[in-house]
Amino acid sequence: MSQSDEVSKGRRSFLLQAAATGAAAAAATAAAAQAPTPPQGAASPGASPSASPSVSEVRSEGRPGSDYMVDVLKSLGFEYICANPGSSFRGLHESIINYGGNSRPELITCMHEESSVAMAHGFFKAEGTPLPVMAHGTVGIQHASMAVYNAWCDRVPVYLILGNTLDATMRQPGVEWVHSVQDAAALVRDFTKWDDSPVSLQHFGESAVRAYKMAMTPPSGPVVIVADTELQEQPIHSDRTLVIPKLTPPSPPQAESGAVTELARLLVEAEQPLFIADRLARTPAGLERLVELAELLQAGVVSTIPNLMPPVGAGRMNFPTRHPLNQTYRSNAAIAAADVIVGLEISNFFGATNIFIDQVERTTRPAIRPDAKLITLNSTDLIQKANYQDFQRYAAVNMALTGDGEATLPSLIEAVRRLLTDQRKSTFERRGKALAEASAAARERFRGDAALAWDASPITTARLAAEIWEQIRKEDWSLVSGGLSGWPVRLWDFTKHYQHLGVSGGSGIGYGAPAAIGAALANRKHGRLSVNIQNDGDLMYAPGVLWTAAHHRIPVLTIMNNNRAYHEEMMHVQRMSNRRNRGVDRAHIGNEIDNPGIDYAKLAQSMGWYAEGPISNPRDIGPALKRAIAVVKRGEPAMVDVMVQPR
Amino acid sequence: MNRISSIALASLLVVSLGAGAQTPGPAATAGSAARGKTTFFRVGCHQCHGGEAQGSPYSTAPKLGPAALPFAAFTLFTRKPRLQMPPYSPEILSDAELADIYAYVTSRAAPVALDKLPN
Repeated sequence: MSQSDEVSKGRRSFLLQAAATGAAAAAATAAAAQAPTPPQGAASPGASPSASPSVSEVRSEGRPGSDYMVDVLKSLGFEYICANPGSSFRGLHESIINYGGNSRPELITCMHEESSVAMAHGFFKAEGTPLPVMAHGTVGIQHASMAVYNAWCDRVPVYLILGNTLDATMRQPGVEWVHSVQDAAALVRDFTKWDDSPVSLQHFGESAVRAYKMAMTPPSGPVVIVADTELQEQPIHSDRTLVIPKLTPPSPPQAESGAVTELARLLVEAEQPLFIADRLARTPAGLERLVELAELLQAGVVSTIPNLMPPVGAGRMNFPTRHPLNQTYRSNAAIAAADVIVGLEISNFFGATNIFIDQVERTTRPAIRPDAKLITLNSTDLIQKANYQDFQRYAAVNMALTGDGEATLPSLIEAVRRLLTDQRKSTFERRGKALAEASAAARERFRGDAALAWDASPITTARLAAEIWEQIRKEDWSLVSGGLSGWPVRLWDFTKHYQHLGVSGGSGIGYGAPAAIGAALANRKHGRLSVNIQNDGDLMYAPGVLWTAAHHRIPVLTIMNNNRAYHEEMMHVQRMSNRRNRGVDRAHIGNEIDNPGIDYAKLAQSMGWYAEGPISNPRDIGPALKRAIAVVKRGEPAMVDVMVQPR
Repeated sequence: MNRISSIALASLLVVSLGAGAQTPGPAATAGSAARGKTTFFRVGCHQCHGGEAQGSPYSTAPKLGPAALPFAAFTLFTRKPRLQMPPYSPEILSDAELADIYAYVTSRAAPVALDKLPN
């Protein structure tokens, strides 16, 4: 064993000791039950203030500052770290793979910074813990910025570490100057939650821990820490004692108790209460609590699946799709009938309760009863910035409860229980039965619609969804990306939190492929079958992520939704053309991805994937999926390219 | 950067066409399904309604066939859509072409039995 190995082993042993102390404290704290999952080494929200504050003392003599940075990252419990390599974080890169042993975090090689961030985005939604990303403070963050914006809009805690050389006299003439910046985080400050540019290693340690805490505190969001090259590469002074601060995850904020009681009263007295849940379920507990609340009231729930409610939602898995109280299949009717509508962690409540018409004159009209009471329960009011308009149109409501939805549900459930009477329970039972019948009827209508054009070629999106479901329904599956025109949520039985991870947030194309592979990375250790329904235009933003999946043996079943155009945009051009009375004959110009068509199977094969297709006969889909799933079960990625209709 | 904004082609058609089968009017029988198919794709009906006029939940574009509204109502909604469907004037889609399209959508295959779908 080399000397450096001995040193690093000793340090890791020390950190493990500190971790055990922190974990024990966390277990002893009831408040931790509602907090985000603490990483290894984290302290609990309820830790005694008299306890020794910063316990992880690290003595480092003659070793580079980036070794200390790795200790900090290890203390935060990161499993992986994504990066496209860059000289401005070469010191940290070297420390991760040598000093850190390339383990917790393990370096994931990415071929574009946008892919790195989107992988982190998908990873979090599957696992509930952040995955850090390293990038240049200039060109790297410029590449990454679109994915950062997606994460911001989707309230996902992406953890960015940017390399930069602030001291101009330390920059090598040439490239290092064009790769340096005064304020590296400035580019993304409008759509990140917090950032810092530490000027000492101790400053880095404290800000790195603070950044984690800020990112994970609901409402979550991306954060940026700048790792200066001098701090990374210069030796740690022998007379300095560095400490790693304890992480104390805060309890998520709950809505004010009086408002919760009043909301419970309205819900119990309502004749047709309805919940519209958007980014409510941060964890599996959020889904369970919403089921409990809905069943207690026998109230309807609409979960904002984007392909079911196009202008509205994020598509998180808030409620089982086949639950009798799920009214998502008939959301328009349910919203129109409700007398109390509660928006749970929904940004676009205006869009959910109004109908917007995009004709020559744009108009809006209410989608609700005139006497309907509108209530919001969300944490998004706690974090709004001015420039980017992701906060949506202002919704005038009767009550606005500010607090984390998931954290507030237990107290809301208790408040409802206190108000229940036998008479109301009897009313609730009748209401629940009617809702169940309406939901079942809607589902049958959709099954009938799916049976149309069954043997068509190109293949219908409904047929493809049905064929996939037939192959995966007995597996422990997770739809990591892809909506396929809303057919999976109509035809598949979604019951678990990780089975539907939703969409990008910012609607920036290029999210799907890397987010799917990031989520598949998280699913790997759980043995889940990750299913990615991949849009063709999305994949072509940065197809190099296919190589990343093959290189790191990330098992994922990718089915190409190969419709050979940017159809959404084609519909926009159709609208403009018809509105101007010019016809739509040329609407494909600038929108089609054809002539030549792209051979996605060959593309994937060139990067080490098993791949088949393109398939145009619907009868060939099932056997191809069987073969591909067998490959995925061996731990490798596989693709089936399917020629489908636009919608 | 490409942009996806909501383009829900929701319309009154969602409700009206969902009402069920109607008997095609006289004008419809004059149309040619073969010509209608060509026109259906040329003027982009398939973008929202699907290549077999089966409809799409994503764009909330309703199914157009094989059961359809009377031709007069079909024409009215095409010329003056009430919600988000783009209008098709006679200058860009003649009455004869519309009749062809109607013939195409009403000649589509019936749905398969539901037991073909996995549950």
